Amino acid sequence: MTTQKFIDCERKRFEKIIKFRLPHKYFMIGIVISGLTIVIMFFRGTLIEGDSEWLKLLLQKTLLVGLTMMSISKDKIEDEMLLQLRAQSYTIAFVVGVLYALIMPYIEFGVSNVVNNGGEAYKDLGDFQVLLFMLMIQLMFYHNLKRYR
Amino acid sequence: MENKIKIERAILDLTQDELAHKIGVSRQTINSIEANRYVPSTVLALKLSEVFGKPVNEFFKLSEGD
Repeated sequence: MTTQKFIDCERKRFEKIIKFRLPHKYFMIGIVISGLTIVIMFFRGTLIEGDSEWLKLLLQKTLLVGLTMMSISKDKIEDEMLLQLRAQSYTIAFVVGVLYALIMPYIEFGVSNVVNNGGEAYKDLGDFQVLLFMLMIQLMFYHNLKRYR
Repeated sequence: MENKIKIERAILDLTQDELAHKIGVSRQTINSIEANRYVPSTVLALKLSEVFGKPVNEFFKLSEGD
């Protein structure tokens, strides 16, 4: 294989990864998974007696999977305009997510100390909180951009 | 960018939905192009050119700000 062919092959594979989208039906599957997960999260305490930390972690992962499915599934008619709007929404979600991860711990720390004297110690956000926020922002902006196109 | 898609569409007596179907996009995309909210790619412009049977620069024109 010549160098040029190798580069072309790499480029094609890279483009295939970039263009990967799930079929449209996965959007509904994602909604169902996320919805069910949120409902189970509310009733976690009553469903399992004793230590249910493992269920909490499992539900967090399931919620992220559901939202990711919604995020990467195609629309009914996936045209170039929607691809552009999707790209815009990912950009916004990334920037807002970074700002959220930088600022939110200080806000939580400040509020906690104002409300309770000598409140919680400073702690960074967990991966779940940041990823959930980014996915929610992406979905919200994408569907708003779509509505106002 | 200014365009005369709406006029060309009226000449051919096509609805937004019919035109969208012919070039493989959604009706909302045609609406956005007509309202100058979205500038289509070269591929889409050439598809429109094929449908209208006219060169692209007859229905797309640069405006002063471009």
